[in-house]
Amino acid sequence: MAYLLQHLLRDSAARAPRRPAVAVGERSLTYAELDGLSNQVARALLAQGVAPGDRVGIFAPKSAAAVVALFGVLKAGACYIPLDPKSPAARLAAIMTDSGVTVVLADQATAPQAAAMASSVPQLRTVIVVGPHWGREAAAGAEAGATSQGPVVVPWDEVLAEPAGALGADAAVDADLAYILYTSGSTGTPKGVMISHRASLTFVEWATACTGLGEQDRVCSPAPLHFDLSVFDIFATCKAAACMAVVPEMTSIFPARLAQWLEREQISVWYSVPSVLTMLATYGNLRGFDLSRLRAIIFAGEVFPAKHLTRLMAELPGPRYLNWYGPTETNVCTWYEVPPGSAELTAPVPIGKACANTDAFAVTSEGGRVSKPGEEGELYVRGSGLMSGYWGDKEKTRRVLVGNPFQAAYDEPAYRTGDLVTLDDEGNYVFLGRRDGMVKTRGYRVEVGEVEAALYEHPAIREAVVLPVPDEMLGSRLRAVICVDGPAELTREEVVDHCRRRLPGYMVPDVVEFRETLPRTSTGKVDRTGLAEHGR
Amino acid sequence: MAGRENVRKPHGTGEDTQLEAVINDFISRELVQDASLLPLGNATSLLETGVLDSLGLLRLVVFVQERFGITVDDVDLVPEHFDSVDAICAYLRSRDGGKVGQAGGNG
Repeated sequence: MAYLLQHLLRDSAARAPRRPAVAVGERSLTYAELDGLSNQVARALLAQGVAPGDRVGIFAPKSAAAVVALFGVLKAGACYIPLDPKSPAARLAAIMTDSGVTVVLADQATAPQAAAMASSVPQLRTVIVVGPHWGREAAAGAEAGATSQGPVVVPWDEVLAEPAGALGADAAVDADLAYILYTSGSTGTPKGVMISHRASLTFVEWATACTGLGEQDRVCSPAPLHFDLSVFDIFATCKAAACMAVVPEMTSIFPARLAQWLEREQISVWYSVPSVLTMLATYGNLRGFDLSRLRAIIFAGEVFPAKHLTRLMAELPGPRYLNWYGPTETNVCTWYEVPPGSAELTAPVPIGKACANTDAFAVTSEGGRVSKPGEEGELYVRGSGLMSGYWGDKEKTRRVLVGNPFQAAYDEPAYRTGDLVTLDDEGNYVFLGRRDGMVKTRGYRVEVGEVEAALYEHPAIREAVVLPVPDEMLGSRLRAVICVDGPAELTREEVVDHCRRRLPGYMVPDVVEFRETLPRTSTGKVDRTGLAEHGR
Repeated sequence: MAGRENVRKPHGTGEDTQLEAVINDFISRELVQDASLLPLGNATSLLETGVLDSLGLLRLVVFVQERFGITVDDVDLVPEHFDSVDAICAYLRSRDGGKVGQAGGNG
């Protein structure tokens, strides 16, 4: 019985040991290899004193090494935390400190950067290097990161000296954490969404069935590890003993190259944010390639503009088109299949109906249940797919994991998504907007409060408001309206530079505006609505 | 498009370096995420340094199309033409018999 994510690998390695599990260009790791190597990583972690329940960082882009690493963490009974090497060091340090990471797995190229984190994260004691360079360029002197004060760097050779056989009985149960994904937090610090094995498997089992994944499938998602889309191409692929194909970053950037790559790699299932698909539809020259193997295109993370989806479906009429919806806190919780041969779409497609083993319902402002078209309410989600909470923040957890408002006999959590929805004539939920300050840009969640908090760290900034500006390609652009303190002078470049040192690129404001004062509402609050209308 | 800022217009006489300045300015202000890369060299690889991601490329293409009144074809959207400020400018100059570079754009 598979009740932990690593059981998916155990079962596929037993059933299909020679099938390719992860492919990076010409090279691939078979299921037997992935199983054996991740056993070795697990033993190396245990040898470094990692205990069940510990958090272990994965400091690497999505790659074969990263997949070996994260299965190694799970097999050691620990929980993994993706650390995006492209994030600013200050944000990574905040995440590592918050989660209490003491051991990090890196690849050959990222090991020096991972080891250097010790200067701001004193508890970091070990960096384990995973993998030869499996499709990534090896940086010279990857293991030279060890200094007398720095963390211990365990080279790959030492990991390979561990036995590759299966480990003993599992210490974990399905309620234990499998991974923590950090997302933007409204108060200025990222918050860690804790996902248990059970929650992840609830999604993985539904997703495998929904897409009919099988051994012949070649699955690709360009989403990085810290983005929950990656749960699909890592774990659902593994459950089906299919092959996870890693798209080189350089390829995914250039649409025609990507189309060519999809043809050559015979990708059959694709999962990404809509903007990558918009690029592909607009610049991919899709009719020039044989993409007949591509049988499902899944998108999630933001609204797919109807115009671009229509174009994509016209260029590429073969595959199924699936819209998956769900905040990181719930995994995917509703889905909608765009009817094939849809004529010109005029409105964004619905987010659809609840997934298996999941209940989604909307609550009106009067506390009733949304039951017919025209009624609006906030979407709530109930079921095994929910997160366990925010790491180390019970207060914030209590605000979103509330009781089921329609069932009072016993305690049962329901997640308040903050998303406003209505119903269409077929009983599908349709996304209307947000209840709070969360903005989607490039598929990433941004709490404007976190950007504002970063702006306030600048000594010359007296007041700052960040507002979304709708943008067809990006979802939203971020507009910062700033009041400078007294005589201080500040340029747009200085503001942007200040933000770049504190925030990931997608959170840096695109537009910076200076004002003497901010407009206020009658209650003295900043008039965000007035400012937003003024900016259009 | 809402919220789009006016990009500083190049001034002076039609020097070759004007085009580089316009492109460098846009990339530095809109696309560079890692402050340690600034000031951005015209020969710096935008791909190796991670400055260009897929949306960054899209924004860059939209910018040069609007700014110079050209259409970037699918086949031109390749790393050879977009890997550095210099490469982008060489590509733009190859368009319209070099009119783009000399006129400094019509934006």
